[in-house]
Amino acid sequence: MVASPSGERAVSAPTRRGTARRLITGNRQTVAGLCALGVFAMIALLARVIAPTPVNTQFANGFSAPSAVHPLGLDGGGFDVLSRLVHGAQTSLLVGSIAALVGMLIGGTVGFVAGYFGGRTDGVLMRITDYFLVIPDIPLMIVAAAVFGQSLTNIMIVIGLVYWASTARLIRAQVMSVRQRTFVTRVEAMGASPLFVLTRHVVPQVTPLLVANTVLMVANAIFAETYISFLGLGDPSVVSWGRMIQDALDQGAVVAGAWWVVLPPGLAVTLVVLAATIAGQGMEDTLNPRLKVGHLAVRRFRVRPLHGALDRP
Amino acid sequence: MTPALSRIWFALVTVFVAATINFFLFRVMPGNAVSALRCRACTPQLREALLNRYGLDTPLPEQFVRYLGQLARGDLGISIASGRPVWQEITGPLLNTLPMLIAGTLIALVLGVISGVVSSWRRGTALDSASQWTSLAFYAMPTQWIGLLVLFYVAAAIGLPAAGIQSASLGVLGAPSMWDLLVDRTAHLILPALTLGLGSYGQYAIIMRSAMLDTLGEDYILTARAKGLRDRDILRYHAFGNAMLPMVTMVALSAGSIVAGAIVVEDVFSYPGIGFAAVDAIGKRDYPVLQGIFLLLTVAVVMANLIADLIYVRIDPRIRSGRVAVG
Amino acid sequence: MSAAVGILGRRIVAVLAVLTLALAGCSKGSGGGGDTDNVLTIGTTFYISTLNPFVGIETQDSTAYSMLYPQLVQYGPGLKIEGDWAESWDEAPDGRTITFKLREGKWSDGTPLTAEDAVWTIETIRKYADGTTASTAKVLAGVASAEAPDPRTLVIRYDQPMGPALANLEQMYVLPKHVWASHDTGEGGSGLTDFKPEQQLPVVSGGPFTITKYEDKGTTVFTPNPSFYGPKPHASAVALTYYTNPTAMIADLKAGRLGFVETVPFKDAAQLKSLPGVTIDSQPGNEVTNFGFNSSDAKKQNRELLDPKLREAFEYALPREQIASTVFGGEAKPWADILSGWSGDWVNPQVQPLPNDVVKANQILDALGYPRGPDGVRQVPATTGDHAQPAHPMRYTVIVPNDTDYDGHLQFTLLESAFEKVGVQLTEQAGGDGTQAYQLITAPDGKYEDADMFTWYWHPYIDPDFNLGVVTTSELNNNSDTGWSNPAYDALYEKQRTTVDLAARRNLVWQAQAEIASARPYIQIVEANLVTASSTGWTGFEPTLFTLGKAYYTSPRRA
Repeated sequence: MVASPSGERAVSAPTRRGTARRLITGNRQTVAGLCALGVFAMIALLARVIAPTPVNTQFANGFSAPSAVHPLGLDGGGFDVLSRLVHGAQTSLLVGSIAALVGMLIGGTVGFVAGYFGGRTDGVLMRITDYFLVIPDIPLMIVAAAVFGQSLTNIMIVIGLVYWASTARLIRAQVMSVRQRTFVTRVEAMGASPLFVLTRHVVPQVTPLLVANTVLMVANAIFAETYISFLGLGDPSVVSWGRMIQDALDQGAVVAGAWWVVLPPGLAVTLVVLAATIAGQGMEDTLNPRLKVGHLAVRRFRVRPLHGALDRP
Repeated sequence: MTPALSRIWFALVTVFVAATINFFLFRVMPGNAVSALRCRACTPQLREALLNRYGLDTPLPEQFVRYLGQLARGDLGISIASGRPVWQEITGPLLNTLPMLIAGTLIALVLGVISGVVSSWRRGTALDSASQWTSLAFYAMPTQWIGLLVLFYVAAAIGLPAAGIQSASLGVLGAPSMWDLLVDRTAHLILPALTLGLGSYGQYAIIMRSAMLDTLGEDYILTARAKGLRDRDILRYHAFGNAMLPMVTMVALSAGSIVAGAIVVEDVFSYPGIGFAAVDAIGKRDYPVLQGIFLLLTVAVVMANLIADLIYVRIDPRIRSGRVAVG
Repeated sequence: MSAAVGILGRRIVAVLAVLTLALAGCSKGSGGGGDTDNVLTIGTTFYISTLNPFVGIETQDSTAYSMLYPQLVQYGPGLKIEGDWAESWDEAPDGRTITFKLREGKWSDGTPLTAEDAVWTIETIRKYADGTTASTAKVLAGVASAEAPDPRTLVIRYDQPMGPALANLEQMYVLPKHVWASHDTGEGGSGLTDFKPEQQLPVVSGGPFTITKYEDKGTTVFTPNPSFYGPKPHASAVALTYYTNPTAMIADLKAGRLGFVETVPFKDAAQLKSLPGVTIDSQPGNEVTNFGFNSSDAKKQNRELLDPKLREAFEYALPREQIASTVFGGEAKPWADILSGWSGDWVNPQVQPLPNDVVKANQILDALGYPRGPDGVRQVPATTGDHAQPAHPMRYTVIVPNDTDYDGHLQFTLLESAFEKVGVQLTEQAGGDGTQAYQLITAPDGKYEDADMFTWYWHPYIDPDFNLGVVTTSELNNNSDTGWSNPAYDALYEKQRTTVDLAARRNLVWQAQAEIASARPYIQIVEANLVTASSTGWTGFEPTLFTLGKAYYTSPRRA
């Protein structure tokens, strides 16, 4: 689920100082999105404290409409929906963040190496990346999740392992463009080691884009988690929003007319995904105003990797 | 290699990579692959026979070669749950899914076109914002959730069947007429297709909008206006037509994501298509069927991407010479 | 608004609207003349896996076979054994011979139905009892020979008196020799299991129906067989439709597309009672859910679970009422016996569920020497000697299969909270479907070493023999999921099996139940109700005869 088709375009190199600040505040969208995400993150972190009731306490035998005591009512097992929603935030955001981190680490590394060393390494790495870009992500995740079992850790790894490819493409292009800048070539000509160049010059230029992309990936990862949980491949011992949507179907919420079980988890996912998408897009806009057009794709707006023809930024 | 040939080669290799991933996934499973084989009252002889039947008793490289050979012949192996060839298990569901997918894509296209046109024509106004936000919102919703909402609010209200592919009483006492069958099947696929369409129209809306804005901003539109051409004609003849190509390409490119949506939609609506078969196979841990479906979906997506690529190769002179990245 | 958008938009909306309304209107009530009104559409969540009786082991398979093939005896209303193909029968005083007088009849292709068909079926099953026909051979346990002195008389001889003889024969389906004999080929008669009757429709049938259309995961159509010797069906056909998702089935029921629903989801029963045009019928059923323990001596870890006293404490901790009302919507009652209430007199009235008493449970566990750790979880001290174990906390994994008609995950959450109160921590392990779960439970490779506990169910037969047998040593790696093995119990089981005298056998059966109840390889949780739904346009349903008698399909009729 890439956010941007920007794979091949260069990003104007921002100055190092103030980049972080510009990234976060330079765009109204970003601010709004990050604030919303921040709120959800707070909720997730404080889940145990702010949840009105313990997650596994049963209050009735089945559905119960929202009331003063239970603002979002009770679900089919008699558990408080609001509490489950809050705890679900913890799981979903955790999975989203860590899966995104995994993807970022793998994709970032591949992108860095490919972009920096170029040549054969680049060719091989990008070839592999392209395959992963084309292979349908959710089905691959489903097969992998079915095989590797249903623990939270495995889910996070599986999601990350499927989503790294678009990050790799993005980072690679950026690294290549930065590397071609005059000051970098000069530093290299002066005999600086590749590692030095990488860490002192390339990394700072590329990191903002990496961050923006990771935020977008969080959205995709949360999305993916809801799919995986819905299909019964999630970890049965934790509450997640995806699990709540599955439970809504399994517990007969439709027959019972229990809208308070159906609406909240989906809304929550939608809001978080929207917030992350807006924030990530905003960041990318800040870094690359020319790309303002045409980069919705919460899900993959896949740029067709032009085989062999995209080496020039 | 010409651009066209190189893309075809790329497509083939991608399928090969997917097949390889498939192969290794099954065999590096935690626990014995054999213990995944369904074997009740399993005597050691029976177990041996099963191992032999699934070809799991030979060394790994030999298994891989045999696997590739089978694939080349179109043999996807044998279902663990039913003992029948995987192909047999998949073909029927696949034929069920295709009309639903097509209908869903059409709905998404229509909604995307309307949204994009509205946005671009009334650019910058509240209508534009509303339209964009709506499409973004739907795009951000998990597809199964949209399905649940449709099930909840729409199904009963309109009186459309909420599940399955065919009415239980159809064709019981004799073959149903073609018309009856067609009507019944269509009625059953509307809600799932609607769900799919709602969940995926966002990407089309965005492309439509930006493509139309691009075109509307071009010089020759100004000229057309200056010449006194009516808005409607400008829209129909120029902007619209130019936006169509990216739209069509998008259809091909979004094959991957619509496939994911189809899986959960079919689960929600109990629609017996390929997605449903996948969910069923997951429940039974029927790995050969699951992997067969995965491979099939990959091939479909790769082909769709390939077609999109080839279209672009033909029409865009810049790519012909292999110089620019496509977006 | 710009003209172009308006026109485009309006056109599209108009087309879609017309299409939708047209289809909505057309989709209901399509299909022609009066006769389709007389078709009984049944919705079910059990599918027919195959039309070959040597292969099929699914619940719904039995329904199909009983509608297609003659059975010597069947269950009738009130769950009493009555004759199906047999008009009458005579049991010799020594209990070793049963002579059946058979009704006159024909197969659906006109071939006469004679005792020879029964003899062929019996002999073929016995011939390959160790291999191909192993799954059906159980019904002929103890049979020595079968003969047909004349076309309407069948004599079956047993080498020892068999208590459950008739009940077992109820599960035997007489196959047409003239169709099946040619498939008795291949090594070990493998041709018999390879034959797929579903590929040669309509099936040559001797029962009230034949099958004219078969879809394992779709709709299977049963049309009446005019040559049937018994009462003819009232319906002009029965269409059995499989739903993987009960919600979809209920949706179709609500929309008036189904005449009968075999298993209404427990939690939906209450809502549906107020639905117009639909009658919900709820009565005691034969689903007994259980909490099973790996009781095999091969168990490697957590061997304290093998202690019956600990299991008694666990039974006190079990929140049966809560489970009955939450998971089953009140359509279940606490239960302790391995048999269901349908077994009538066979059920030992002294076997009763222990009350949910957390204090008592804690007392027992304290007395057993399992102190609570700082996190509230009890600690098991290290043991020495044979099967020595290190000290460890009471943390156990419970395997939860997904092939249940109730929400297993929900039930587990309730168990988890309940056991927390007695200092035991449970973790859920998704079990997958039946076969998958069985492998996990008997892992690895059927050695019963790894599993701790599981939650599952049985649909106990009316005659106690089968279910009393699942905990015997000979059922290890077959029907035994607990791995329990007790030679004294095995002997008791054999004894009741070979006792023909009803009163004597009942005593033995009661004894066996008492033994199981005190050793607790299973702790039974609830006995669930049979909840079915029917459209008010139909009447005459016999829900309790599901898989047990032909009247299930033949007696429903238009109201």
